[in-house]
Amino acid sequence: MLVAWNYRYRNSLIDRIDPRARFIFSFAVLLAATSTWNPLLLAIIFLFSILWYASAKLSWQDTKRGWLMISILLFTMIVVNTIITGGGAGGVVPEGGQLVWPEGFNLFGRHMTFGLTVERLWFAVAQLMRILSISLVFIMIPYTMDSRAYGVTFRKLGLPDRLAYTMELSFRFIPTLARNFQVTLDAQRARGFELDSAKGGVLNKIRRIAPLIIPVTMNAIVSSEDIANAMDLRGFGQQKRTWLYELKFHWWDYAVIGLAVLLLGTVLYLAYGHGMRLFEVPPWWYGLFN
Amino acid sequence: MPEPQVPPLVIQDLGFRYNSRRTPAIEDINLQLEPGQVVLLAGSSGCGKTTLMRCVNGLIPHTYRGFMQGEIELYGKSVKGMGLSDISKHVGTLLQDPERQILGTYVINEVCFGLESQGMPREEMIPKAEKALERLHILHLRDKETHYTSGGEKQKVALAGVLAMEPGILLLDEPLASLDPASAREALLAFRELANEGLSILLVEHRVEDVLQINPEKVIYMDNGRITYEGDVEGLLETADYTRIKLPAQTVMRRAKGIPPKERRLAVPALDPTSEPLVSFQDVSFRYKADNPEVLHGINLDVRAGEVIAILGHNGSGKTTTVKQALGMLKPTSGHVLLEGVETKKTTVANAARTIGYVFQSPSQMLFAPTVREELAFGPENLGLSKEKVTENVDWAIEAVHLEQELPTPPLALSFGQQKRVSIASVLSMRSRILMMDEPTAGQDYWNYQSFMDTILQTPGFDAILFITHDLDLALTYANRVVVLYGGQVVADGSPHEVFADDEQLMQWRLLPTSLLKLNRQMYAQTGQFLRAETLSQLAG
Repeated sequence: MLVAWNYRYRNSLIDRIDPRARFIFSFAVLLAATSTWNPLLLAIIFLFSILWYASAKLSWQDTKRGWLMISILLFTMIVVNTIITGGGAGGVVPEGGQLVWPEGFNLFGRHMTFGLTVERLWFAVAQLMRILSISLVFIMIPYTMDSRAYGVTFRKLGLPDRLAYTMELSFRFIPTLARNFQVTLDAQRARGFELDSAKGGVLNKIRRIAPLIIPVTMNAIVSSEDIANAMDLRGFGQQKRTWLYELKFHWWDYAVIGLAVLLLGTVLYLAYGHGMRLFEVPPWWYGLFN
Repeated sequence: MPEPQVPPLVIQDLGFRYNSRRTPAIEDINLQLEPGQVVLLAGSSGCGKTTLMRCVNGLIPHTYRGFMQGEIELYGKSVKGMGLSDISKHVGTLLQDPERQILGTYVINEVCFGLESQGMPREEMIPKAEKALERLHILHLRDKETHYTSGGEKQKVALAGVLAMEPGILLLDEPLASLDPASAREALLAFRELANEGLSILLVEHRVEDVLQINPEKVIYMDNGRITYEGDVEGLLETADYTRIKLPAQTVMRRAKGIPPKERRLAVPALDPTSEPLVSFQDVSFRYKADNPEVLHGINLDVRAGEVIAILGHNGSGKTTTVKQALGMLKPTSGHVLLEGVETKKTTVANAARTIGYVFQSPSQMLFAPTVREELAFGPENLGLSKEKVTENVDWAIEAVHLEQELPTPPLALSFGQQKRVSIASVLSMRSRILMMDEPTAGQDYWNYQSFMDTILQTPGFDAILFITHDLDLALTYANRVVVLYGGQVVADGSPHEVFADDEQLMQWRLLPTSLLKLNRQMYAQTGQFLRAETLSQLAG
């Protein structure tokens, strides 16, 4: 149900990079990937992301739940939205184009026509590269970042104290929330409730999970009063804060930031200065469908 | 630096009314705290203890708004005009539930939180935090994740976080509530040690008997928002209402003489030792995951009709894990659990609910419906009972807990005690044969939990009752069988008289003998059973 983040020190390259440099790199990839549809640039960004992800030494076992969530997202965006309905390609892919099956095709003995174009299919590939690039650099954060480092990292990146500490606090309460959820699930199961017996339409499904959602939410609201009191009683937010967790920049952190700036700068320069921003299909792609 | 002759805390004619209420929560409070003093503040739920604490630590008026009268001085200075962070340098507060107070993911981060908020440089805060941990003898926990500390450790970690800010005054809000007897004793000794070092401690607790172990210098009793007693311990023992707070058994026995105690009749049927067990644990071992350590080791246990079983054991001894096995929520790694002869591995939890009604610790973990009636109908409807049967069960269950008039009310709008009764009724309405309760007294004051237990045990409809508790006295007055778990094993199983025979043995299990136990042992030849102090006083010569 809830994803329990699993940070542990893996003695990887990423572990040695300052969290601030890591966030800067991740945001550079995000911005770069969303500023172009050019096949070459997207491929370069994708390659950077893969290398970055590989340097974290994450195992499939660790991250599979996160990837499962992303796969669901990718499926809806790419298969349903772009390939089947074509809605997601609107505004980017020009109208018309070359049909993949100009003559139609036979499925279970019936003749079908399907308006999928070669351009839209490439758009799906480009979108896949884009989303995967962003996913790769962001999904690894909770697995590679010490929970104690969030507050000070966001503070030093310029967020105000309160906001920065809130980020850290949310990590503290994820296990508590997960445990409360489990307790409520057990309590309702003891009253004959079964989660998988939720049948019927969407509304009915929501109604069926009310016995879980309402107690968990109410508990969270009630305990947030205690948490706020505990913070107030220890002087939170009354003056400028210091942080126990120490961050130190090394020369390689500057190198990482330099690389991030270089990547983003190059992509922006080529995208906006040399027309490499717009959607385009590489010529070899057409070759595959002739 | 405060001047030595100025008392740390002086309260004069203090009164407070919340904006949302018509009547004041506290009135005419006068109180003084000296350095090195432990002052016990006792009283039942709603007597105004929490409001008084909030006035001292500044949450009133900074977080909770209302109308305040009178004067509070910290080291001779009025708190008027002081911000929360100024007050927090003098007054440290330990809230009731350490789970909700601990903010850091690691112990050292938690302890440094207040110092970080003060803007203290890193080099200064680490020695201060380590000193606070050292004072409570938990320096070895320094780099542990707070999530993985035990209940007693969590509380000390939270306290260290307060101590690191070096307050002169400590406010402790029911600090013993979630602790097993041995951890509670350790916590009390730690408080005494801090007072001996010069701190002033205001300790709110209704487990008065336990606190007497550390000889509080002064005792205050509050009722209905006012202080009705202030003085030494002896005076309190003579004047306080012994049905409201827990006093030593000898005192209750002496004072209850001549007052006939309330009749109590258990509603479970008479015990037949040859009957088929309702639940049977056969050599049950359990681990959560294949690579986790085993938490239950070879448990053998039969539950028969007519039994009222108390399960005792230290924090983390496997009590809840064991009970969850009975319902099939967890399945044994090896061994068998049979429910009315059927293996739990072969049935669903929903099916098991027909036999076992399981009430969780906190009602807020399960209440969700828009009305009490719908809340009570949820269980039987899940079991697939007919409409008429559901209505019949709901009506019966609500009558059993005496809340008929609340059927159309939203459960979440009720008081905590009423919510607790609704949560029991929502399990009763399934008409299960066995009632199992996890810490039925948690979060209730002495008077409420006594009357609650009385009501439940006199409710007809169950063949057997089983409850998990930390409270030895609860076990010895309500149960006819006691099971002690220690480190995932059943280490004792028998009548209260058999199980509680040896003090040394009890201490090894992290349970402590109580005054009521000692009294019962002395009178056992005469009574032949364990009874509450009020009943004993009628029998004593």
